[in-house]
Amino acid sequence: MISDLLEELDSEVSKCISCGFCESVCPTLPAAGYDLWKGARGRVIMGRELLSSVQNHGSLNVSDSFYSCLDCHACLYVCPAGVNAGKVSHLSKSVIAGNGISGNRNPLAEMMASVTMRYMNPLGIREKCAEWFQGMEVDTGSGDLLYTGNMYQLMAYTHGMNRLREKIGKGMSRRMSSLISRFPWLIKLAPMKRDETASRRMDQSLSNIALLLRKSGISFNYLGKEEPYPGTFIYDLGYLNLFREYAGKVAKILRDSGAKRIITIDPHTYDLLKNVYPEYVEDFGIEVVHYLDLIEGSAFKGGNENITYHEPCHFSLREQAYNRPLETLRSVASVNLPPRSGRRTKCCGGPDELLFPELTHKISQNRYEELQETTPQKIVTACPICFSNLNKGPEVIEIGDYLVSKLKN
Amino acid sequence: MDHINGLSQILGSNLITEREQKIPYMTDASYYQGDLPLAVALPDTPEQVAAVMKYCQDNSVPVVARGGGTALTGSSIPLKEMLVISLAKFDKVLEVHPEDRYAVVEPGVKLDNLNQHLSRYGFFYPPDPASSIAATVGGSISTNAGGLRASMYGTTKNWILGLEVVLPSGNIIHTGGKVLKRTAGYDLTALLVGAEGTLGIITKAIVKIWPLVESKGRILAYYDTIEKVGSSISELKGKGITPLIAEFMDKITMHSLSETRGLTFPEGASYMLIVDIASTRESIDRELKQAEEVLRKFNPISTEITTDQAAMDRIYEARKGAYSSLLSERSSMSERVVIGDIVVPASELPMALKESEEKARKYKLTVALFGHISDGNIHANIYADIADQDHMSRVEGFQHDFAMIAIKHGGSVSAEHGVGLEKKELLIMEFEETGNQYMMEIMKSIRKAFDPKGIMNRGKMFDQ
Repeated sequence: MISDLLEELDSEVSKCISCGFCESVCPTLPAAGYDLWKGARGRVIMGRELLSSVQNHGSLNVSDSFYSCLDCHACLYVCPAGVNAGKVSHLSKSVIAGNGISGNRNPLAEMMASVTMRYMNPLGIREKCAEWFQGMEVDTGSGDLLYTGNMYQLMAYTHGMNRLREKIGKGMSRRMSSLISRFPWLIKLAPMKRDETASRRMDQSLSNIALLLRKSGISFNYLGKEEPYPGTFIYDLGYLNLFREYAGKVAKILRDSGAKRIITIDPHTYDLLKNVYPEYVEDFGIEVVHYLDLIEGSAFKGGNENITYHEPCHFSLREQAYNRPLETLRSVASVNLPPRSGRRTKCCGGPDELLFPELTHKISQNRYEELQETTPQKIVTACPICFSNLNKGPEVIEIGDYLVSKLKN
Repeated sequence: MDHINGLSQILGSNLITEREQKIPYMTDASYYQGDLPLAVALPDTPEQVAAVMKYCQDNSVPVVARGGGTALTGSSIPLKEMLVISLAKFDKVLEVHPEDRYAVVEPGVKLDNLNQHLSRYGFFYPPDPASSIAATVGGSISTNAGGLRASMYGTTKNWILGLEVVLPSGNIIHTGGKVLKRTAGYDLTALLVGAEGTLGIITKAIVKIWPLVESKGRILAYYDTIEKVGSSISELKGKGITPLIAEFMDKITMHSLSETRGLTFPEGASYMLIVDIASTRESIDRELKQAEEVLRKFNPISTEITTDQAAMDRIYEARKGAYSSLLSERSSMSERVVIGDIVVPASELPMALKESEEKARKYKLTVALFGHISDGNIHANIYADIADQDHMSRVEGFQHDFAMIAIKHGGSVSAEHGVGLEKKELLIMEFEETGNQYMMEIMKSIRKAFDPKGIMNRGKMFDQ
């Protein structure tokens, strides 16, 4: 397994001539004060170093270089040689997670993987993640399964976790994470505070998404507190063996629910289920859609309000770009795109929030300013992570909320 | 270790000392691998640069300045315990004055970012090296970068009005000014352009800016021989037509762009010529047709005209990334691409191109040719197996002969990439072949006047 990863890593890094084009679009490089190993070219160079260290049994303290990668893939679209520095980071994280090199495993990453494996939720809060649906009806006989993947719900905890880490300090935080990774049940004792304002906002967005589906005549099932997290962290952090096992469990739960079609609502879950699950789960075979695929345009009143749309990386920077959100918005408003858009869209910084919150803060502030310069009145996002990080003013609105405001009476 | 303490006191957290974090600074876009630097300084004010330089001069610590790390001759890599001074944090456009035709820019600003900023004013900064997405203002000044638009606008030296420079002594000098003409003593601004960081560290630049062209269009012409490509451009220029850009590429390059960018080319095309014409909205179509007529005199396989911006952007980006794309054409994993860079008078191009191809055959090397053909600049991209001694000696032989072609036809061994580590011997050869041996003495004297202890980018451009 490690040898396969190393071979793939070698094949990717050896395509690189070190021209540096990727650095110019890598959001983490300026946020990290131009410390090259936290930029795209630096990661490819460190990928080579990792290969050499593994082959020569050398030591290398390299994890921060790869773990700080946002996995946005912006680098790929400017690389004249088709090198994907994001892939290099992912492969390198997988080598680290697979014990291909010692002394580089990240305690917080270990904790997230370990807790997710035990509770099928990275914070062990599946019950809380179902609270938004209280009082609503589900159609248990429907083959359409609304699958939130817990993503919106988890956003109410990330800032709180970071505040806790700040309070107890980096050293203590790493020690606590190490302990929880060995005894995942300890997560239940951790003083994790939910941001109630954020929680209400996210719950509202979830309710609005459900409303949009109903208005389009979609009757759906929902697993409530049995709904598992899709395993995004486990995959992104490189725990590929664990992910294979975990994704198999998730797929079984989804299949057992009678789902014929999974309705995802966020870009990360959509991308993971559509593009990664088929590779890791034998005969996955369940149709995956995004809820906007099912929303009928006739439900909306037209309009020409000026808005800025921030395109999520997992929609715009994947092999098959998913543009349905943009098309839907264009049917209800006059959409402006910031200078970095489409295949050049810029990450909100969110994926770094748990491991490198200081990078996320700088990246999201910078992106927010770019969006504001485009249209200061209204900024629409289509991802709970983007929303959570770019929500720096009342003008930022989640796409589901925005579309509900455009429904015909 | 003492130096680390001394530098830490000046730079605080702006100093990188961990081994792993220093590794990416050993590389630039050339095939050279530098040494692990003593440390990496990331100063954020000219005063901090000045304090670092004073420390380094007082303590004889060698330094190398780094911009975007896009150098192709190894000029920005550290050798033997050098301190890397990265100017990346100097990343702001400070002033734009369209009415006076200048902007004040920090050296770490990337060229494409500068032009994106200037476009809001309807202006641009013409120097346009292929690496403009990553190359910085400071780095491109230090190598006197040329690029695609040099055909019409010349190279970087034509666009620099003044500089703020930190000398090795720690003194900060201001050369030139915010005016388009100035004759007051030696032109130190011109001297610093292309100095490859051997004289001082640029911390601010006053650059000339120009209104954006009103309208442009592109002619793509495909030929079966390289002489026809060269003759077409000579004829075009002879007719008084100055292209905005005029680029050519050979079959290997075209194939690599098919592989990496999905571009398609006509069957049987061995060479592609890209000619952009800039004009007014009213005249662009007429001028494109006139230029196409000239190109058609040399029996191209086909020609086409486009004014579609998206199509033009796609080809432009592909051409700019051609150097990196070429790696897809290598025959073994240990092959690198060594990029040669010569210039000849445009009228000498047909012969110079033909001779370049002959030399590739003589040394049994795979060489991809592309370049900025309008200003006589040829890039020979040599597939070099760095693990094979015999192969590398043939590469060296080709580089020598390729340089001799430039000299024979009245050109230079370095058009726009500078000298760095790669062309130190070729520079001496050029001086000797042209009867200018004394030039090296003058250059050494100048360097000594700026840098008496020889700490600035030691070992680059020429040995002291």
